[in-house]
Amino acid sequence: MAAGVTDTAPISPLPSLDPYVRWPVSARWAAAGLIAFAALAAWGAGVSFPLFGMLLVAAALLAANAWLRQWSQRLGDRLGTPEGRARFARWQVALDSAALWAAVYLSGGLGSPVLFALLVPACCAALLLPAPQAWGAGTGILAALALTGLAELAGWLPHQPLIFRGEDLAPAPDAWGTAAALARFAAFGLPIALLAGAILRRLQRRLAALEREREAQARFHHQLQTLFSILETIGSTHTLEQVLETATAETARVMHVKGISVKLLSEDGRFLRYAAAFGLPEHVIGENRVEVARSPLNRRIIEGEPFVTGRLAERESFQFGEALSEAQIQSVLFLPLKVDGRVIGILGAYCAKPDRFSADDVAFFRLAAKIVAIALENARAYDAVKTLSNERNWFMMKVAHNLRAPLAGMVSILDVVRGRYLGGLTDDQDEYLRRLDRRARTMLSMINELLTLSRNRDRRQEALGGSTVPADLARRVQRTFQDRAAEKRLAFRVELPAEELPPIRGPLETIEQILENLVSNAVKYTPDEGSVAVRFSKADGTVRIEVGDTGIGIPHQDRPRLFTEFFRAENARAMEVVGTGLGLAIVKENIDKLGGRIVVESEEGAGTLFVVHLPAAAGEEKR
Amino acid sequence: MDSKGLILVVDDDPDIVATTRIILEKNGYEVHTAPSGAAALGLLDRITPDILLLDVMMTTDTEGFDLAFKLKEDPRFRDLPIIMLTAFLDKVRTEGAGPFEFILGEQWPVEWLFEKPLDAKKLLAKIAAVLKERKTA
Repeated sequence: MAAGVTDTAPISPLPSLDPYVRWPVSARWAAAGLIAFAALAAWGAGVSFPLFGMLLVAAALLAANAWLRQWSQRLGDRLGTPEGRARFARWQVALDSAALWAAVYLSGGLGSPVLFALLVPACCAALLLPAPQAWGAGTGILAALALTGLAELAGWLPHQPLIFRGEDLAPAPDAWGTAAALARFAAFGLPIALLAGAILRRLQRRLAALEREREAQARFHHQLQTLFSILETIGSTHTLEQVLETATAETARVMHVKGISVKLLSEDGRFLRYAAAFGLPEHVIGENRVEVARSPLNRRIIEGEPFVTGRLAERESFQFGEALSEAQIQSVLFLPLKVDGRVIGILGAYCAKPDRFSADDVAFFRLAAKIVAIALENARAYDAVKTLSNERNWFMMKVAHNLRAPLAGMVSILDVVRGRYLGGLTDDQDEYLRRLDRRARTMLSMINELLTLSRNRDRRQEALGGSTVPADLARRVQRTFQDRAAEKRLAFRVELPAEELPPIRGPLETIEQILENLVSNAVKYTPDEGSVAVRFSKADGTVRIEVGDTGIGIPHQDRPRLFTEFFRAENARAMEVVGTGLGLAIVKENIDKLGGRIVVESEEGAGTLFVVHLPAAAGEEKR
Repeated sequence: MDSKGLILVVDDDPDIVATTRIILEKNGYEVHTAPSGAAALGLLDRITPDILLLDVMMTTDTEGFDLAFKLKEDPRFRDLPIIMLTAFLDKVRTEGAGPFEFILGEQWPVEWLFEKPLDAKKLLAKIAAVLKERKTA
């Protein structure tokens, strides 16, 4: 059969002839019983024959069977080697033949009504043994019968009559009769029995082959699942630490091994460091760093040669031998972790069973190692980008603070002067100080908004997690703007519908930024005593938010550039000196990130209505 | 002295200290100032302010918060109300890196956080409210 199959034996026992080899043992109890019962019944019915001899045959068969049973148990579940199985089968055939021969002889020899019972061991031989041996057994049985016939004819062996009501049911045949009986047995009985056995044997083999194929497929399926499972788990993590942790744990779990370790090679390739170890005792990891130059074993693995051993204790040269056998680890497998042909580390697998890693397993672990290596490399790249981005953010933060601090000082001084804390001012002086103050404040908000924009760019690639409850959003918007609206005596309303709204997909920060900018504009560009309204409603898988005002409106020609950076509509600039032109750019960016959309309706001098649609969070995102 | 209360202003920006002092004194408070967290601690041995106005970023980025946490752990100052001032309070910081992150944490050791430039009206209103609450408590 398939050459590789015996290599993978540890995974599952092969379906084999075992049940057929063992089955006769159970059948034989019944057969011996049947012989004894039939003999007693015949005797009871008045048939006269050597009853004692027949019972002795049954007893001998029982005794032989007890011995066979013990043998089969000693051979264990899988009856040992093929040779062991064949020897066992031969013994069974021989003992059965002997017992049945005795029964046939005691019931009349070649004339016995149970002569054809001798076909049973022949059939068994064909089922259990290779063809030549089966034919050998058949010939042996025939020879024994022929000898019996001859011996009876010659008078060397007494004929055992089977007498019923004074008549011999199995009279001793004469020479012709003997020849005819032997010919019948040899020409019809024996070939049919042998043929039937052989056909059964072939069928059984076929079944076994099918079963092996099924096993192989199941193995293959399992391996695919395993790879996929590893891929899936480490695909959903980003940081190096997480990838290491999940990759080792997951690989150990799906491969059913005791431990998995990952050693990573230092940049200069001189040292190996245990980066992760799952399921191994602390002291195995022991010295955390290995110098490659001093470890021929590790050097060979790094050069691309996998290391496998199935009997750890026997390998004295193995440098971790002691610690690992203390942990009762017998099988070890080390493979290089490679990305683009470059070795980045070593993947180790440990198992307490001896000879755990077959050639198949090594091939499979190689695939797993590839996946792990790629995941590690990605995680490293991700970490590097993350660090860079954090550094940049931190730098931006410092810059923003350092730019804002002097401006804040400046504005504070202006406040004190304009607040007449230091004496009176003329109207002109106050007016120009007011302009100075506005300019400084514009700069302050510009710094904030530029920072926001740059950071948003930075995070554009990142998935936005979390969800936001519209009611929270409404409350915060109300609180943020009520004072400013009151100062201008605006009618300011934030309205939620009676029905409950689904949460919006995305973090509160991002969504609030959208609303803050829209409402802030609405308040800013609506003349005193106007009105500003924010309305939430549900619309087809999205949450719809309207921000409407009765303000100056947006001129038609300015609409196309409304959401570009630093753009401010002409009438907006005429009304308010302060304004960075970044607010709506931020709004647009955030809405794009959330997968929403925004439309604007406006009539110059009458008001503006922004309508924002944001996707609702799916049910499963409530993690 | 008929002061409405004693306020300690801790900030390393002399302009902020000067203008805050003017506004607070004109509104009837007695004001002491310190340019750093360490100076403030030294001063606190000698005076007992009713309120502490505390800048966040001084010599180090979190000096103000460090002092605030230290004071909250000290039984002598546990009840001293603290109003934090920062030159940079923006939504951005909440998602950001470094020490800004913890500002949004649940356990603020402070009563309030104002962004500079300070709105004099709001600051005075907050101080009055905190002091009133303290008296009734």
